[in-house]
Amino acid sequence: MAIVTLDKLTKIYDRDHGAAADNVSLEIGHGEFMVLLGPSGCGKTTTLRMIAGLESITDGTLSIDGKVVNKVPAKDRDIAMVFQSYALYPHMTVKNNLAFGLRRRSVPRAEIEEKVRRVADTLELGSLLGRRPHALSGGQRQRVALGRAIVRDPKVFLFDEPLSNLDAALRVSTRVEIAALHRRLGATMIYVTHDQIEAMTMGTRICIMNGGRVMQVGKPLDVYRRPVNTFVAGFLGNPPMNLVPATITDDDGGRTVRVGETALRIPAERAPASTPGSPVTFGIRAEHVALTAGPAGDRAEVAGEVVQVESLGAETIVMTRLAGVEKTFVARVAGDAAVRVGDRCPLFLDLTETHLFDAQGQSMTTGQDERTA
Amino acid sequence: MASLQRAILMLILCGYTAFAAGPFVWAAMLSLRTTTEIHIDHFALPDPIHWEKFPDAWFNSNYATYFLNSVQVVVAAVLIVTIVGAMAAHCLARYRFRLNRVIYFVLFSTIIFPPQITIISLFQVLVNYGLYNSKLGLTLVYVAIQLPLTVYILESFFARIPADLFDAARMDGYSDWEIFWRVALPVALPAVATTVILNFILLWNEFLFAVVLITEEANRTLPLGIQRFIGDTQEDIGMIATGLMIAIIPVVAIYAFFSEKLIQGMTAGAVK
Repeated sequence: MAIVTLDKLTKIYDRDHGAAADNVSLEIGHGEFMVLLGPSGCGKTTTLRMIAGLESITDGTLSIDGKVVNKVPAKDRDIAMVFQSYALYPHMTVKNNLAFGLRRRSVPRAEIEEKVRRVADTLELGSLLGRRPHALSGGQRQRVALGRAIVRDPKVFLFDEPLSNLDAALRVSTRVEIAALHRRLGATMIYVTHDQIEAMTMGTRICIMNGGRVMQVGKPLDVYRRPVNTFVAGFLGNPPMNLVPATITDDDGGRTVRVGETALRIPAERAPASTPGSPVTFGIRAEHVALTAGPAGDRAEVAGEVVQVESLGAETIVMTRLAGVEKTFVARVAGDAAVRVGDRCPLFLDLTETHLFDAQGQSMTTGQDERTA
Repeated sequence: MASLQRAILMLILCGYTAFAAGPFVWAAMLSLRTTTEIHIDHFALPDPIHWEKFPDAWFNSNYATYFLNSVQVVVAAVLIVTIVGAMAAHCLARYRFRLNRVIYFVLFSTIIFPPQITIISLFQVLVNYGLYNSKLGLTLVYVAIQLPLTVYILESFFARIPADLFDAARMDGYSDWEIFWRVALPVALPAVATTVILNFILLWNEFLFAVVLITEEANRTLPLGIQRFIGDTQEDIGMIATGLMIAIIPVVAIYAFFSEKLIQGMTAGAVK
């Protein structure tokens, strides 16, 4: 276990094209499972590779257990990494793949045998030790790649989108395996993915990145419930949060917003009073939009027209068009909801779950306690 | 209909085989006949079979020396070309450094020039450095002429090895030097085997540079030794054929040894 601290870590490949990772500051605690999440090209893999020692650091400091390791080569950082492509040595058997790192570290032969056997038993690779990687299935290769990291018993584990080459079913089971592995080993793990389900289900905390910068760091549900800006709000969640342009009106001392043709009064705890006329972005998650008024009848009613219906069995995703709003507005309702394309129906918004973002896209919603690092 | 197609195909294949193997079989037959017998009938079967021509060529016609010289020069040249070529190819394919592509282009551009244009200057260079008429000099020339093609073939293969493999080895604690020997080279073995066969065959049969740069009997390679039997007024066809057969044996052996790797190298990347 180890504490990994990134202090304004920056990577610039080409001065003309800006930073691939820009002032990334983050602290990953003992035994924590930190997920770096973001779209392609957001700098998450670059950040991971800097931690691994596979990329030089342009600026900032990287510390492991308080010791700055900017100039320490990858082999001396006591870090293991699982690659997206598994990166198994094709000319070696599974056993030699597992033992390769230990041999370099002059571990006694008997100890190598013992460690390899133990890891093989743990990951059910015992019968595959004599095979070469090309004779393994995708799932088996993934387990060998995991085993190669585990067998070294490193301070820190790094994962670079390790599940992206697996089929959907295998991805779910391997996800569970990795989470169980983390619980069992209690090791510090940093996991890069663009799959938010992986991030939400596996991470102790998640770090959302975009354009090389950290957008928000926090526990998965906290980030989901309290996004600090429109990027995080729009990126996390499936379907993403409804984000529509709105304007603050004169009513209620600047607590009412006009969304299209509808005025909505935002509860005091969701946003501070703002200057009337200011442009804002109104956000609400699809699960907080209903087709019925609800038992308490405290939801705000908005007129909409159904433009698309996706029945997923357990739930139905209803895409609607609100009067005076260009963007579609999505509602997640019960699987048995009887709606058809073209229906004109009222939508009921739970305004206690709304978010307001200012003209710069930053959250105005109160209770934000985890801003970007 | 199908059997007719099959028959036509077989006919074409037999014809091609005869065309390709015919000269070889003829030379093999000539190697077992004396020059006098050959002059009487060029295409007759060897009767009686003169097996004694092989020990005769080996012991009395100096083929043992030529053979040993060829082995020394070619094995050393192929070894150096393979190691240096693989290292250069790995370096050009793997590392980002200034002038990487310029070096690659300069190296590659030497392939397009006919080797004959360098002979006079090479002759002078070897004379100046005291390497003329020496096996070391010929070896170095062979290394120089085969290196660009070797780097060209290997570079494209090394470039296809996933970078993650090298990163994984770095994470496993290996240095760049160790990664080359323990990961890059073994993974690229099919391509390396291809270049070994190619270089071996080309250099084993090389005549032009050898005839210009070697004149001493003790340093002659096999192609020069065989040429010795071609005189101004007569040719010892029988002995030349025997020499050819002796010369072919190592090529066949090398090919048989590396052929599986050669095919892998040729088909690498063709199928997933």
